[in-house]
Amino acid sequence: MSASAARELSFPRDIYAGEAIDEAVKTWSGFADFALRETDDHWIVALTPKPEYQAHARRIVGEFGNAVLGMTIDRGGAT
Amino acid sequence: MQSTTSFSDIPEAVVSVDASERSVAITLDAELYPLQAVYGAAYIFIDRCYVFVDRPQPGRYRVTLAAKQDVAEPEALRAVVGEFANELLACAWRHQITQDNRVAIETVTVQAIAGAMGEPSLDDLADFDFTDEALDDPLGIAQSWEEKHGRPAPAKAEAEAKSEEEAPA
Repeated sequence: MSASAARELSFPRDIYAGEAIDEAVKTWSGFADFALRETDDHWIVALTPKPEYQAHARRIVGEFGNAVLGMTIDRGGAT
Repeated sequence: MQSTTSFSDIPEAVVSVDASERSVAITLDAELYPLQAVYGAAYIFIDRCYVFVDRPQPGRYRVTLAAKQDVAEPEALRAVVGEFANELLACAWRHQITQDNRVAIETVTVQAIAGAMGEPSLDDLADFDFTDEALDDPLGIAQSWEEKHGRPAPAKAEAEAKSEEEAPA
């Protein structure tokens, strides 16, 4: 979880809910820029902390991942 | 710079440690630990760690736990691994118990809800629609012999026979 550059997270589609990713992106869009794409197996999120939050990159990436996981579990899983 | 090590008491194939990231990656057999159990254990650690779950290969889950707070000693990360493993085992066992007792749980729940609704009132009973066809009987099994074959009912047949006897020849 580097503190300088963009970080790409690959969320397996059978573990994480796509709606949870969308919701987490909305929540965290004030702290980072997001680029989303998908493959057959993964939701891929490229996350770049905004310049003023570069020092908190590790925290932003980690909390974003926690938010996606938490919302996925709250929804009852990936499906 | 990334430094990946392992704990001496745990095989490296199961747990690897990244000291620079203050994280540990635990590889799990998906056959032993269902995803619901992984969700349950991961959820408990969300307040202490950054948790990420992925699939390094089919039939395996990998849970990466990165400490939110500074952890100077490797023993602290080792403790996180142990606590997560214990929690995971508890979640897997609870999941198994739930699966085994699902029918009983649902039955008791339905009975509890039905009991909470209370006895039907007189108005409910008065408004009950008895004309509703509750039984689907395509083969006519529930029909009487007389209904099925168009013969007169026993009482009616008896009355007809009696009237024939009384009638003058």
